[in-house]
Amino acid sequence: MNITTIKSIKDIPQEENLSPGTPTCAGCGGLLSLRHCLKVLGEKIVVVNAAGCFTLLAVYPFTPFKSSWLYTAMACAPAGAQGIRDALDILIRKGRLDSKENLKVVVLTGDGVAYDIGLASTSGALYRNLDFYYICSDNEAYGNTGFQSSGATPFASKTGTTPIGRISPTGLELSKKNLFEIWRSHTPPYLATISPAHPVDLINKFKKAEQYKGPKLFINLSPCPAGWVTDPSHSAKFARLAVDTGIWALKEAIYGEVKHTVVPKSFKPVEEYLKGQGRFAHLFKPVRQEETLKRIQEMVDQYWDNVCSRESRKR
Amino acid sequence: MLRLRFHGRGGQGAKIASRILGTAAFFEGYYAQDFPLYGAERRGAPISAFTRISKEPILERGIIAEPDSVFVLDETLLDDPHAHPLSGLKEHGIVFVNTARSAVELKDTYKISVQVITLDITKISLKMLGKPILSALAGGIAARIVNLGEDSLKKSIEKELSEIITEKEFLLKNKEASQYCFHAIKPIEIKIAKGIHKANPVITVPFETALISSPTIYTTGNTPLRKTGNWRVFKPVWNYDICTKCMVCVVRCPDACISVNEDGYPYTDYDNCKGCMICVEECPVKAIEGMREAHAW
Ligand code: SF4
Ligand code: SF4
Ligand code: SF4
Repeated sequence: MNITTIKSIKDIPQEENLSPGTPTCAGCGGLLSLRHCLKVLGEKIVVVNAAGCFTLLAVYPFTPFKSSWLYTAMACAPAGAQGIRDALDILIRKGRLDSKENLKVVVLTGDGVAYDIGLASTSGALYRNLDFYYICSDNEAYGNTGFQSSGATPFASKTGTTPIGRISPTGLELSKKNLFEIWRSHTPPYLATISPAHPVDLINKFKKAEQYKGPKLFINLSPCPAGWVTDPSHSAKFARLAVDTGIWALKEAIYGEVKHTVVPKSFKPVEEYLKGQGRFAHLFKPVRQEETLKRIQEMVDQYWDNVCSRESRKR
Repeated sequence: MLRLRFHGRGGQGAKIASRILGTAAFFEGYYAQDFPLYGAERRGAPISAFTRISKEPILERGIIAEPDSVFVLDETLLDDPHAHPLSGLKEHGIVFVNTARSAVELKDTYKISVQVITLDITKISLKMLGKPILSALAGGIAARIVNLGEDSLKKSIEKELSEIITEKEFLLKNKEASQYCFHAIKPIEIKIAKGIHKANPVITVPFETALISSPTIYTTGNTPLRKTGNWRVFKPVWNYDICTKCMVCVVRCPDACISVNEDGYPYTDYDNCKGCMICVEECPVKAIEGMREAHAW
């Protein structure tokens, strides 16, 4: 298949498949990415949406989608996707649907579903090699219900369920699950991380994914003004800082083979990313938590050290 | 018993304002109840919050359909079909509206028959706090309108906000802004009456079978009808003299509001722009400015 990748933001297609007027928060980073994802996926799709912030997109009698949309409970969006895929395949096989009318099946979830509640059914779909797209909007907590901690919440984040205490002033003491690696261990044909700050990279990844049959998965780091306690105008800024500091690695894995697609020439200190987000404010005030800040920087450094040694080994 | 209702937008502080009022009343020896009601929408979308204040124990539960007074934290809500802030309001009730306009003008525009009090608390908040967060200010106004004392208000703000605001200085600023608003309003007496303000009756929906009443949407892409343009406090305004047509703003708008005109210049759909100001922040040459907006339409 001939893939035409794009080079700059001027090449991003003009047509929108997500209408304005949605009920998501002003400045939602997840919505910003979804808008770009849908530009590539097009109109001929069925969106299977597990409960989460994106549930809000289609609230009766309004929908922002140009396509069909099915709502499922948190745990079972991939199962819903399987049902739709099977139905489409059967209709095509029986000749009741022209294969030109075939639709792509797209699962839309938040991190609560992807990292926790729906992980089992996703694993099942990967195991069965279901032909679908899976987009996880990862705002690093259960954003729709007031920002409680999830399996995607990073170390030291303050959330509704990990408040700052007098004895433990750190916030969450656990570390973010590595969903990329969990998914990669199933060796799906295509798997990538994306960011709303890098729409060209995002669009090229979706274009690339199109050529594969089977699971195509995407994790988007979604700045969330409501939960991150940031100004809505800073959503793109924090998405960019996440990449520039190395905390969010933009990469893809084709049949398990990992490649980093955007590598900053020099990394900014993670502090620049943490600073200014209300969920990490306790690390700076009233006293600077040096130990914690150091530990976060070390986690990031360690990740990139591994990447470097792995990629130099290859050469 | 006083039954009070707050109408605001998600993130504006209506819920905390109702809490501040409830706690202040509690400090003055009343029984109090306060709670919010969210819709299926998020920051910027209409929400309401309720407070009941009584000398006797309060046995009543649930939302307040017939309030004695309402506090509207955003003038644009008066016109919002999802909010209906005046519905069920009792005659002789009092409506407070956060707006730059006068009470007379407002009564005229929205055909309000009861007493209206106005004050531009967003302006005060921007000046005193640097952001449009209205909880303490609206709390101060509500406390004044229902005739609570300044000391209970102070104590209530301390209690409610110190749990949310960790920065001492910002807490202090909130207290000051609250006092300022408290004194900006003349004390009034709410006369409780039985009659109900006639505007916007509550609609009852008849029972229908699932075939008719199930929420299936047969149309596509119709959310623009649900105008979200009145969610904003600031609106982006383009200056084409500086704009280089780089497309950054077009790409960065989460709500797909920005299109390009025949000459290649970007413009936004103000009916649906939520005023997140990402475009303003991201424009490399500062060709977009955020302008304070008193009324959306
Ligand atoms: S809570 Fe966060 S992720 Fe959810 S709609 Fe609002 S900004 Fe987006
Ligand atoms: S402020 Fe700018 S980026 Fe935000 S919704 Fe409006 S046009 Fe879009
Ligand atoms: S980002 Fe600024 S310069 Fe670029 S197109 Fe938009 S307004 Fe013009």
